[in-house]
Amino acid sequence: MRPVKVALAAGLTLLAVAIAATLVHAPMVIAHKNGTPQAEDRIATAAHSVTYCQANELVPRGTTAIRLSLAADTGPRVRVSVSAGGRVITGGTQGSGWTGRVVTVPLKPLAHTMPAATVCVSLAPRDERVTVFGEDTERAIAARDGRHTLAGRMWLEYLHPGSRSWASLIPSTARRMGLGRTPAGTWNALLAFELLAAVAILSSTLVLKELA
Amino acid sequence: MSRRSGTRTRTEEAAKAPDGERSQAPVAGTTRKRTVGERAFSRRARAAERRRRTRRTKLNARRPSGYTAILVELRLGEALRLLGRALRRIPRAALVCALVACLNAVCWSIVSPPFEVPDEPSHFAYVKQLAETGRLPSSGSGRYSYEEIAALDALHYYKVRQQPQNQTIATRFEQGLLERVLHAAHGVGEKGSRAAGVATSQPPLYYALEAIPYSIARAGTVLARLQLMRLTSALLAGLTALFAFLFVREALPGERWAWTVGGLAVALAPLLGLMSGAVNPDSLLFAVCSALFYCLARAFRRGLNTGGAAALGSLIAIGLLTKLNFIGLVPGVVLGLLALSIRAARVARRSAYRMLALALGIGFAPVAVYAAVNALSNHPLLGSLSGASLVPHGSLLAEIDYIWQLYLPRLPATINDFPGVFTARALWFNGYVGLYGWLDTTFPAWVYNVALIPAGAIALLCARALYVCRAALRSRVVELAVYASIGVGLMVLVGGASYYTFPQVDAEFAQTRYLLPLLALLGAILSLAARGAGRRWGPTVGALIVVLFLAHDVFSQLLEATRYYYG
Repeated sequence: MRPVKVALAAGLTLLAVAIAATLVHAPMVIAHKNGTPQAEDRIATAAHSVTYCQANELVPRGTTAIRLSLAADTGPRVRVSVSAGGRVITGGTQGSGWTGRVVTVPLKPLAHTMPAATVCVSLAPRDERVTVFGEDTERAIAARDGRHTLAGRMWLEYLHPGSRSWASLIPSTARRMGLGRTPAGTWNALLAFELLAAVAILSSTLVLKELA
Repeated sequence: MSRRSGTRTRTEEAAKAPDGERSQAPVAGTTRKRTVGERAFSRRARAAERRRRTRRTKLNARRPSGYTAILVELRLGEALRLLGRALRRIPRAALVCALVACLNAVCWSIVSPPFEVPDEPSHFAYVKQLAETGRLPSSGSGRYSYEEIAALDALHYYKVRQQPQNQTIATRFEQGLLERVLHAAHGVGEKGSRAAGVATSQPPLYYALEAIPYSIARAGTVLARLQLMRLTSALLAGLTALFAFLFVREALPGERWAWTVGGLAVALAPLLGLMSGAVNPDSLLFAVCSALFYCLARAFRRGLNTGGAAALGSLIAIGLLTKLNFIGLVPGVVLGLLALSIRAARVARRSAYRMLALALGIGFAPVAVYAAVNALSNHPLLGSLSGASLVPHGSLLAEIDYIWQLYLPRLPATINDFPGVFTARALWFNGYVGLYGWLDTTFPAWVYNVALIPAGAIALLCARALYVCRAALRSRVVELAVYASIGVGLMVLVGGASYYTFPQVDAEFAQTRYLLPLLALLGAILSLAARGAGRRWGPTVGALIVVLFLAHDVFSQLLEATRYYYG
């Protein structure tokens, strides 16, 4: 049947266009981070609704997301607000249900670099506790939870789209895919690509044979 | 009796003629000329004798290797013939679906870095212990063998796991270091791994299967062994897709083209690829459960026979020996066997109950043996399960409420166990759309929102198909109830296990992969959705569903690759 062929062709074309569009874009890279942690410190554990604020943060221009080192199995909603001079400049929210050791919160992009901003992170856990990772510091510069001072500063990473597109990163990505395995080599990436192509061809042929 | 002996005599006599048809000498004791029929008979007899002589000569030629070898060869030939006949009966489309699933899982096995799939280090340790010592692991700690720990360290595993800001090794120097560590650790000569982390309590069948590739690659490094074991798992993905196709064919026989939609969609499911491209008993569990659904559907459609009962029993046994999660499916399968037996009893009561006993006998034999061994050795009857409580804390009602809320919106007048979380979406739907690696690799938030559109369309089309064929559904309500009870059983098991650690951890086992034993049902739902578009547009919608699943798979693998390797 003709409509099946048209639908398949349209679908595959759309897929190719989507892949091309993705490759043209640049991945998120770290614009700035507030330290290079050598050791992992738990600076707080959130068991109820709480807001942690940290002053003197350098927030680069064009930041579109902040990565926080929070750990939870089923994480609560996380709100981030960035303020300077008592005024909220930008903010964002990551919905609940995240899992793992970091959470990335998207932000509205900043037009200018903020050299001394205050970043506040609000969590509302109910049963499960959220661990906050960071670096032990002096009390004077540590993050604060309302009236209390935490054991150190939260690790924050400011992300923005990089200058190189995904497409330009293909060779280095393929090279790295070949490392850390036996047998090693860039051919691993090529084999993966060929396998994926075979999967697409076999599926499309079967659809044409059985559905068209 | 006399006729037979007469025939034999005539045949033997005819065969005695030295030069076949040219000999016209009358047989001793007879004077009459032979009729045409007799001459033909004589020719057949001589031909038979020639064949017999040839066979005898061949047998004599083979005699030095012994009759046992001949018997084995004959049986092997017979088995291969049977296998060939069985394979010929499988539709080619089903075999292509199996091949697609297999290749896809192999691709995932290359894209996923070693040990960066949930619990893979523990499962590897279990196989190592079983293959090298023939014993089961005895410690649930993460103190694996020196060889494995060294490999994990050299791969930066502990820094990469659950921390998407960190990536795998990136330079030739690190690769060289890794290779040196792997070779040095291989020469240590330690045997097995007493500790196998979270895998310790699991039954041994999958690990015994993986011990084969492990032993084959024994001379290689940890990573070589791991890759061969991953490829074995990938073969199981093929079986999952094959049986999912066959299940759809049995359950929804109406439209031939729709079987392909269900089979291919299952074959392309990214989570199937991820888990079957790794060392994880889930891969065998998915295959067993798909086969179980197929056997049940076949029995509901064609009736339960001895072969079907034995197959169902064997699958229960294999499932119970594969992973503890299978326990969740058992009540539904037993319900299905009861329903099938009651139906068969209307025709032949005794044989129906004999078949039920056969299925249950085979199915629960491993449990009985396990319990008997434990009883004789003064261990808890069901091992680690003996200490498990149905209600670990709180009340039964609170647990039921928790399990309900783990999947569905809470009911009025109940305590909210997941405030601010719509669990069906945040945990299960988003988990299916994209949560890879060590549960640390996700798409941007907008992808999960966009994914709701095709999911909603598929749900609507499926609902339409069900409405259109509601009359047929009524006649198959028992069968549907059985499938539903299998699904509910599994969900209750996952919920109950999560309740153990609640409230310290909100939903420890709320991972979509735990529901993948129901993949065959997903195939049927997608097949129904395509049919829901009507006769005219059904195949077109089916093609779009396949492309959607292909796109999901491609982008999921790209996501995984960028998470671990970009830069």
